[in-house]
Amino acid sequence: MRDDFDRPLWRRLVVNRFVVVLGAIALAIVGWNAYVASYSGGRVTGRVTDTAGEPVAGASVTLWVLNFTTYVEKARGVTDADGRFLIINRDSHNLQLAAEKAGVGRSRRVPVRLYFRAQDVELREPLVLVPTSQGGS
Amino acid sequence: MRIRSALPIWCFLAPSLVIFLLYRVLPLAWNLVLSFQDWSPLKAARWVGLSQYEEMLFDDEVFWQALWNTVFFIASAPIAVLLALGLALLVNADIRGRNIYRTIIFISYPLMTVAVAIIWRWMFEERVGLINYVARSLDLVTQPIPFLNSFQWALPSVIAANTWQMLGFYMIILLTGLQNIPENLYEAAAIDGASARRRFWRITVPLLKPSLFLCFVVGMLNSFTSFDLVYVMTGGGPGRATELLVTYIYKLGFVQTRFDYAAAVTVFYFALLVAITWSANRLSGGNAGAVERD
Amino acid sequence: MRRYPRWPIHMALLTVSVLMLLPFYWVVKTSVSGENIFAYPPSIIPKSPHLFYYVDAWYYIPFARYFVNSIVVSSIAVVANVILNAMAGYALTRDFVGKPFVLFLFLSCMMIPFQATIIPAYLITGRLGLLDSFWGLALPQCSTIVCIFVFKGSFDAVPRSLVDAARIDGLSEWRIIWKVMMPLAKSAIATNVILAFVWSWNNFMWPLIVTRSADMQTLPLGLARFLSYQEDTTGALYAFCVMVLAPGVLLFLLAQREFIQGLTSGATKG
Repeated sequence: MRDDFDRPLWRRLVVNRFVVVLGAIALAIVGWNAYVASYSGGRVTGRVTDTAGEPVAGASVTLWVLNFTTYVEKARGVTDADGRFLIINRDSHNLQLAAEKAGVGRSRRVPVRLYFRAQDVELREPLVLVPTSQGGS
Repeated sequence: MRIRSALPIWCFLAPSLVIFLLYRVLPLAWNLVLSFQDWSPLKAARWVGLSQYEEMLFDDEVFWQALWNTVFFIASAPIAVLLALGLALLVNADIRGRNIYRTIIFISYPLMTVAVAIIWRWMFEERVGLINYVARSLDLVTQPIPFLNSFQWALPSVIAANTWQMLGFYMIILLTGLQNIPENLYEAAAIDGASARRRFWRITVPLLKPSLFLCFVVGMLNSFTSFDLVYVMTGGGPGRATELLVTYIYKLGFVQTRFDYAAAVTVFYFALLVAITWSANRLSGGNAGAVERD
Repeated sequence: MRRYPRWPIHMALLTVSVLMLLPFYWVVKTSVSGENIFAYPPSIIPKSPHLFYYVDAWYYIPFARYFVNSIVVSSIAVVANVILNAMAGYALTRDFVGKPFVLFLFLSCMMIPFQATIIPAYLITGRLGLLDSFWGLALPQCSTIVCIFVFKGSFDAVPRSLVDAARIDGLSEWRIIWKVMMPLAKSAIATNVILAFVWSWNNFMWPLIVTRSADMQTLPLGLARFLSYQEDTTGALYAFCVMVLAPGVLLFLLAQREFIQGLTSGATKG
């Protein structure tokens, strides 16, 4: 412990390794909480397209959430004219999404993992509807 | 010594004394009393003399297995101390970055033993553990060894994990001891023509005796009381292959709620500890292994 | 000094360092990528690292609750330790009737490991009505003999003239401790704080015995409970391990000197 009495007391108390490190951690925690609070609308958004890349309107999108060890269906949404959908999720951080439309096809189940519950997230890749008449899934 | 000022002194001592009396001295006495009774929280106590001890010594195989495992664990402590001695000698050498090496080797000691147990439990895993992977890559074995599920390998695996955690601690103690040996002793011996080996055996080892003794005692105590590691890593199993006296006492008291029998085993446990410490003290020449001045 | 080649020493120490750090690296790697839980052979570099196991660990088990519990219990233990040990250490620097007896009592209590006292300690805590409470968790850890002797050694080094001058000035014994002794015993206080904190933070057996309800558990208990729920089938367990180890490692790196000093100044609990 440096006992140099030349430095004023407040400097000795503030500029030491504990205060600096713990203070930085506290700041980081506060900053993170602020970020979480401002982005926690629970909005899950994305697009649905077909295999040609054209947006599909009126497709139904299903949201599953992880319940202990299995995924349970939680909510549904419908795409608008641009093929975009919006579902509200506040329950879980581990989701799956799939879309389907009669006559066009269905997409595979896409896993979506969040950093915190009710995080606003937008899917980077669209859900691609693949025709199911090939007899597979 | 003024009587007037003795009262504040006792007031200062009182809180600590109360805690130690309550949580160290009283429990010892209570254990002793309880071991001669047949008691449970729901009924009154009944004196039964030595029958708890009879059951422990003659009817209880688990007790003997736990005793054997504990002794085996304790007997492995010197190996770790010797390894640490080698490390201390290396770190004590005049090299750059010795503090970094010291920190790296010591960092395992202040960690939560539960976390260490989980890490090592997985490293010893049969299918995907790192130890098996290395052994198979080096062609030491053809089949993976189920370390924590086999009767021969379970206890050595726990001992290996314990050694990893304690190595840094022993090294620090021995390093301090090494650094307290005056340089001029070595120089004088070198001038007199003593070889490095002689300097080691005639100067270093005798002057390290107190530190070595301390390491052995602490190592023994650590092996004796190693509940966390065993409980999380193997739970005492497979069968009772890693059951130590301390885990057995816990299970008797808090799983089977046989407080009276657990007290008897605890009395034996403590007596064994005292006996081992006392004989270690005698074997090292008495006086806690201090160096004799001639 | 005889010259000897340095590089073999470096080689040996580097090997040992790698062996000592390998478990850490492996845990962090698994917590970040989740491979090697089912897959074999393991890979050295994680293939597609992600932080989602940490999110899982945060939500599966109430990490925040356990963390707060651990902090509260450790804080009580640390504050109580500093106060009680300083008082007892100061008392031991004075001569008084019965001092040899008290010294003998303390030294022999050092020989009694906590594990030899668990059954009666549990019964006593029950009688005191402190089961499943913060005070019940902290009480046995509120004073340690090693730390008493650390304070005693530090107080013995204070020159008597200072103490006598304070007494002539009319300070009571209590104020002597806080105004004269403690400011000069900074390293003893630091050692005390670090040792008491680490011992109570890592304590697993006593919370295991004393807690009954799930939300009074401390961090080590939470970790063991996670293991028994999920076995080792998920990377979240290892993320939890890392989350639990990180404060310990951080604290150690910050307070290395005090920690090592405290340990080498006497035998320890281990």
